[in-house]
Amino acid sequence: MSLFWIVIRRLAEIEERMATSKKVITREEWEKRLNDVKIRKEDMNKLVMNFLVTEGYVEAAEKFRMESGTEPDIDLATISDRMAVKKAVQCGNVEDAIEKVNDLNPEILDTNPQLFFHLQQQRLIELIRNGKIEEALEFAQEELAPRGEENQTFLEELERTVSLLAFEDVSNCPLAELLDISQRLKIASEVNAAILTSQSHEKDPKLPSLLKMLIWAQNQLDEKAAYPRINNLSNATLEDPTV
Amino acid sequence: MPSATVNKPRPSELLSRLTSAEPEVKVRALREVKNQIIGNRTKKLSFLKLGAVPAVAGILADSIDDVTDNNNCNNDSNNAINILVQSAAALGSFACGFDAGVQAVLDAGAFPNLLRLLANPNEKVVDAVARALRMIYQSKLAPKYDFLQQKNMEFLISLLNSEKENVSGLGASIITRSCETNLEQKALFDAGILRKLNSLLEGGSLSQRDASLESLATIFRNNPEVISKFAGPEIGRPLSSIIDLAKDRYPRTRLLACMCLIVIRNASPHFLQDIGIKTKLIHILLELLDDPGQVGDEAPFAFSSLIAQKEDLQKLALEANAIDKLHHHIKKGSLHPRRYEGILLALADMYSKLESCRSKFLSLQVLNLLADALTDYNAGVRAAACICLKSVTRSIKNLSAGYFMNETIVIPLVQLFLDPSTSVQVAALGATSNIVVDFTTRKSIFVQCGGMKQLVQLAKSMESSVRSNALWALKNFVFQADNRLKEGVFSELTASLLSSLIRDPEPSVQEQALALVRNLVDGCINLIEFVFAEDGLILGAIGRQLQCASTAEIGIQGMYALCNVASGNEFHKEAVMQLLFTQMGDKNQSFVIKFLQSNDSRLCTATVWTIVNLTCPSSPGAPGRLEKLRNAGIVSQIKNMVNDPCVDVKLRVRTVLGQSMAFGDN
Repeated sequence: MSLFWIVIRRLAEIEERMATSKKVITREEWEKRLNDVKIRKEDMNKLVMNFLVTEGYVEAAEKFRMESGTEPDIDLATISDRMAVKKAVQCGNVEDAIEKVNDLNPEILDTNPQLFFHLQQQRLIELIRNGKIEEALEFAQEELAPRGEENQTFLEELERTVSLLAFEDVSNCPLAELLDISQRLKIASEVNAAILTSQSHEKDPKLPSLLKMLIWAQNQLDEKAAYPRINNLSNATLEDPTV
Repeated sequence: MPSATVNKPRPSELLSRLTSAEPEVKVRALREVKNQIIGNRTKKLSFLKLGAVPAVAGILADSIDDVTDNNNCNNDSNNAINILVQSAAALGSFACGFDAGVQAVLDAGAFPNLLRLLANPNEKVVDAVARALRMIYQSKLAPKYDFLQQKNMEFLISLLNSEKENVSGLGASIITRSCETNLEQKALFDAGILRKLNSLLEGGSLSQRDASLESLATIFRNNPEVISKFAGPEIGRPLSSIIDLAKDRYPRTRLLACMCLIVIRNASPHFLQDIGIKTKLIHILLELLDDPGQVGDEAPFAFSSLIAQKEDLQKLALEANAIDKLHHHIKKGSLHPRRYEGILLALADMYSKLESCRSKFLSLQVLNLLADALTDYNAGVRAAACICLKSVTRSIKNLSAGYFMNETIVIPLVQLFLDPSTSVQVAALGATSNIVVDFTTRKSIFVQCGGMKQLVQLAKSMESSVRSNALWALKNFVFQADNRLKEGVFSELTASLLSSLIRDPEPSVQEQALALVRNLVDGCINLIEFVFAEDGLILGAIGRQLQCASTAEIGIQGMYALCNVASGNEFHKEAVMQLLFTQMGDKNQSFVIKFLQSNDSRLCTATVWTIVNLTCPSSPGAPGRLEKLRNAGIVSQIKNMVNDPCVDVKLRVRTVLGQSMAFGDN
């Protein structure tokens, strides 16, 4: 019995030692190994093009296509339409944006009640921002109240928005975030995604997924080795391993 | 500068601008109408009431020949194009997800014009028109497409071959909506449509893949022949592309692929039967429940179609923690009614056969959640809650523990007897039928909640399904109940109502009424007096109904009722004898012989049991009755059955013969 326990204890000690000793890889070694990995230029160009196209940078995409010869996977003409919509929302011209979306594809707002509600809500916010209180109330009553009747969540959001009218100083009230520019950007992004989906295009660029994969892989590797890490994604510099 | 003007022209003003002679004014007005109605159901309705649809359809009809040449780029042709595009878009929006709009568009005669415009040279026009037609075909009101006509099939093929997504999507929508019979499915297969749809699956865009999956499922439904032709020669390949799509990145595609695979599984015993695919389907569908949108609303229905009536799948789902997951979603609360209904029905399927599943219900303590669902404002949810309750109350263990016979459940359930929706009533009755079998003596709670009186009221309903289900519940309620309870039921029902229900035009109602009598008179000799009340109304009704029983079940219940009566005293037994020998017209043969000669062994057993009671040696009149039976040829008929293959029949026959020998018969 005691021999058994002695063996068990020995095995546990060995395992512990193995666990705390991580393999250390120097920067020289690491960079050498990195150099052995081959990445194709075409793949990188495609990634860049995909990013530019999905985010809607039309002119940059055009220029990049001319300079690199990379073909976009989507018709650049449709990007301009989409960008016009996005820009209209970002400037607060929601009605204009709605008309443009409907010209592009009338199905989008007809089959996307949440998006439509958010756009209408934004119209209300713009009216309140400009102090057009009477118009805001009329708009809320005629256009938004029926949406609220159809859906409990919409009703709650509507009530929040309308309560903006109760505050004298809107910029300092608890709901001030609704008036912030970031709210417009959020809706603009929502519209952008809906248009991309309707065009059967992926609504997210590939680049963020790659970066997430990098972070995950590094976290996994951290458990086994000490190696030069990329801690700052924007400059991607290798930082020496802590010994 | 932000624009947020609300000074729109009034709808009536807009409609009058539609009649303007100036094309530019017309185009602007059309565009304005379209922009006001898109996404806005209320506006669609108000424009509809003002007659907007016929007005727009009229403009479409007038302009249909204006764009014949794609090369003109002048102002006139631009306006003509815009008029067509905007009016088609407006009509499409009226039809989008709005049945009243679809009906209005069809009534306005726009449908044939839209079809014609599919051949228009201008791309934008074709796009708008194809979209509008697709919206129409998403509705049940869409005109039926006749696939069996050669011309129509060719047109469909041309639609599917188009490179434009909206046009090929239209082709797929037509198939999904209109293909119903096996004949149509075969015709589509013969025309090579499946090959075309398969190529859209593999090489098409997202919307084309989704549309294909829906169409394929429609063509495969209940048609094993087409399925094996599709999957056969290239073994595994076409099916494997569908299986791959079940793991697609887009939730809607995953759902549609699963639904297609389930259709194939359910129609054909040869495909997709291995445990790997079964487990995969279960996991994918359970994961889709997490989707916050429409996909998550529909996922539980797909899950139900996978597991319904299939014990092996229910076991696998149980192991995959399906019940916990479904309960978790219900507990979250504030569900979309469709999703709520779907989850309740999925749970009902999980509880329907396996006790191991039902015991999870009790350990998770969700009785209160079900009670809440019984009072939901949505009728579909209420009905689904009842169906779920019916499944879970199949647990005899828990019925006998009296778990369900409490006010939390009984009160809302009894309220549903008065529900405006018939399907909710019937579902509530189904659940009640199980609950009232309660083996403890707590049935009085049901009476206190007014349930018994309600059931009797429902037994007088105009709907036959409500009548038969109410009787079913009453039958279970009086099963082995104490005398006082039975007397209460009988006095509420009255002999005249019960006898008229025995003579009801619907066989299912007759059967339940007879079964109710059987349970009422069972047990105590005093209860047998029920059938003699009001000059033997009920007994007479039983006799007359047995003469012309249209189903075996009616015969079985009636005979058992008589059997129970015949277990009483001399008077009772003689009354039964008289009934058995009543002549009807020129029929010399008593129905007894007919029942004894029946192929249904249950009917034979019931009849022989009655004879056993009539010839029981301890009663003084037995020899006389035996003589009568012998003279009518009944005893010899019974002798012929001494080696009947059914054990029950054989045993009872031997009892009768044993009893008859006690009177010195050979």
